[in-house]
Amino acid sequence: MGDRKVLIVGGGLDGVAAALEKAGTGAHVTVVEKFPSLGAERITRDRIVGPDDAFVNPDLDKVRNHDKIRILTYSELKKVNRDNGKVSARILKRSLRVDNTKCNDCKACIRVCPVNMFDDFDEGLGFRTAVDYFNPATAGYNIFKEEMPVCQRACPVNLDIRTYVGQIADGKHLDSLATIRERLPLPGSIGRVCPHPCETACNRQYLDEPISICFLKRFAADVELSQGIEPVYETPDKKLPGKIAIIGAGPAGLTCAYHLARQGYEHITIYEALPVPGGYLWVGIPEYRLPKKLLQREVDLIANMGIDIQYNKRIGEDLSFEELRKNNDAIFIGAGCHRGLKLRVPGEDEYEGKGIVDCVTFLRDQALGKPFETKGKLIVIGGGNAAIDSARVGWRMGFDEVYILYRRTKKEMPANSWEIDAAEHEGVILQYLAAPVEILGKDGRVSGMKCIKMELGEPDASGRRRPVPIEGSEYVIDAQTIVPAISQGTNLEFLGEDHGFEINRWNTFDVDEETCATNIPGVFAGGDVVTGPDIAIRAVAAGKRAAEGIHEYLRSR
Amino acid sequence: MIYEKEKRYIIPFDDVPSPRAEMPEISVDERRGNFVEVETGFPEDMAVKEAKRCLSCRRCLGCALCWAECEPEAIDFSIPDEELDLEFDEVVITKGQDNAFAPIDPGLGFGTHADVITDIQFERMLSPTGPTDGMVVSPLDGQIPSRLAIIQGHAGQDDEHLLSSLILGVNEAIIALSKTENLEVTLVSPFNDGFKEGFLKEAQEVSGLRLIEGAPESVVRDQENAPLSLKYSENGQRREETFDLVVILTRPEISKEMKALSRRLDTPIQ
Repeated sequence: MGDRKVLIVGGGLDGVAAALEKAGTGAHVTVVEKFPSLGAERITRDRIVGPDDAFVNPDLDKVRNHDKIRILTYSELKKVNRDNGKVSARILKRSLRVDNTKCNDCKACIRVCPVNMFDDFDEGLGFRTAVDYFNPATAGYNIFKEEMPVCQRACPVNLDIRTYVGQIADGKHLDSLATIRERLPLPGSIGRVCPHPCETACNRQYLDEPISICFLKRFAADVELSQGIEPVYETPDKKLPGKIAIIGAGPAGLTCAYHLARQGYEHITIYEALPVPGGYLWVGIPEYRLPKKLLQREVDLIANMGIDIQYNKRIGEDLSFEELRKNNDAIFIGAGCHRGLKLRVPGEDEYEGKGIVDCVTFLRDQALGKPFETKGKLIVIGGGNAAIDSARVGWRMGFDEVYILYRRTKKEMPANSWEIDAAEHEGVILQYLAAPVEILGKDGRVSGMKCIKMELGEPDASGRRRPVPIEGSEYVIDAQTIVPAISQGTNLEFLGEDHGFEINRWNTFDVDEETCATNIPGVFAGGDVVTGPDIAIRAVAAGKRAAEGIHEYLRSR
Repeated sequence: MIYEKEKRYIIPFDDVPSPRAEMPEISVDERRGNFVEVETGFPEDMAVKEAKRCLSCRRCLGCALCWAECEPEAIDFSIPDEELDLEFDEVVITKGQDNAFAPIDPGLGFGTHADVITDIQFERMLSPTGPTDGMVVSPLDGQIPSRLAIIQGHAGQDDEHLLSSLILGVNEAIIALSKTENLEVTLVSPFNDGFKEGFLKEAQEVSGLRLIEGAPESVVRDQENAPLSLKYSENGQRREETFDLVVILTRPEISKEMKALSRRLDTPIQ
């Protein structure tokens, strides 16, 4: 028992208690705490107490002076694995930048520090400076310098936003673009379509408005374009062996290929079912938001790294998944969510293709230039970005009137507010609190839809108020084309039968969060095929993670 | 004032406030019947100006003022980060110090009014090592409140959490009452059987604490400088009262990282 080594994650009250308990059995204990000091006293939550014994104090002196306990504060687990019963951990112990054995607690540093920020330790009730002693009970001084600013942390691929925005401020626009491309090979495309979680996090919003980060990314990409520069994406001279197949040339697959090529892999093939690259960026995002020419150029830059993109190659039809596995050392699946979900109302199946067309098909057919009957009234059903895109596309195609029908109100709409505003601005008519009941037809074609009015009830699991039908409020509206845009799902038929993958109840892959590895060795998956319909930048992030996972897998074989 | 964690950085700047740049667009008339790109992109001067609004957020700015002031020369920016590779026989995962909580209904005023705080913030306020050395004050104006409400933020929560949040609320009330003269504390929450059977009687004996079995509905400030107005329902009756400070009982949430770690190591969180 004496040499047993125990890792305690978290140095709050529970962690300190656990450390003392384990050390009491003779084990060697290491406590890893993310904050610069161990926890403070807490109020008891299991019995009613008097004012004097309400707080439970962690025994900080005892834990700090215990010769069997090692305390790593301001530390973080970078990697952790369980193997043969042993847990191996890579721990990053950040520098406190203060030698607390020399510090005499005079607080002169705190008086002069110009940084003034909310105090994390006091739950934001007070302010602290960048240099602080955090938990007064432990009086360990530290200087708080973050690894990443909030914007970078909020970005799924952790783009170095502070640097690239700073470079634009300094007029070094091409340097800015190079900074972006360190992680993201599609700056012009993502700079147009990203719903920018970074801006939601931006600290400037507390002073006035967040920085327009996304459009600055687009600006950096546009500068290169307007100057007629055709860059070459470098790959290392030292090439690595290993054949890698990628299913889908969407943001996840393209990014995965890009980062693998930058590692030195030279046998990378992307199999794309469609005649065009980009996945949903091409066939889902309309031209007026992201010009195809621009997307094509960014894809070409990636392909020029020596990546073979084979179009019109649908796995499961033109080539079996089994064959792909046999002929490659690793596979990345980035097949996306290209199946529009059904409304499940009477008449839907009967008129499919005769006036009723799901949003994925609708947007794809338009993007690929298929002719379409655009007479009369178009009704789009749903409240997400795909619904707004379908309506704005329909309006441009020339439908006489375009409606969006949504069962909740504008407040609950999942679409980006600026997209909703733009649709309204263009003349799309939004009808809230209504849901379809039945698709009506005449002479073998859609002629209208029976709807029911809704009201909002109690909040559901998503926190949004649940729409409830109002009995007897059915009404009929006429329509020539109806586009359900309620959600998208995956299509995993290409895997064949008895594929052995762990697929969850959303019909997406279960993968390792860090490496994107599926349960089948050598097969990785990322993007919408794992997350369900999600934003492009998260697919980019998954592609990058998978490239690192694949590299590690191939190296360790 | 926003109290949300991880979003805290305030330093005075001369160009505040200044609006963000607006993306130029083609007119609606130019859009019908074609697919021309709507947003035309920032011209250079606009982009540079917008980029200059960036605060270059970082905590320590590296100005070295503290280093210059430090007499015992304890401050040393060259102390490096360390990376340790360690092996263990056992791992214990605890909740850590994140104190994350489930989102609170915006109608209860948290995030809008500085004098609506969470039970976790109130716990720090009551702590002898806290920001006010244990004094109860309103973060809005620094005044000592005379009417304090502790209200349930998650009525629909499961029994275990409801019970522990009720006990925390009562304990916080007891500490606050012991530290503050002429204070009246009102606790508004649904009660469950566990609380009624095991704790209600004891709580009722606390002098200065009023217990209301009801559901909080909204917290608003009708006009500037007025106290907060709490609407709640009790036995199907809707009531309204004013308070100087409102504390919301939250539902603790395990952070995403800890959850992922727990899954990865197949070890439950203690």
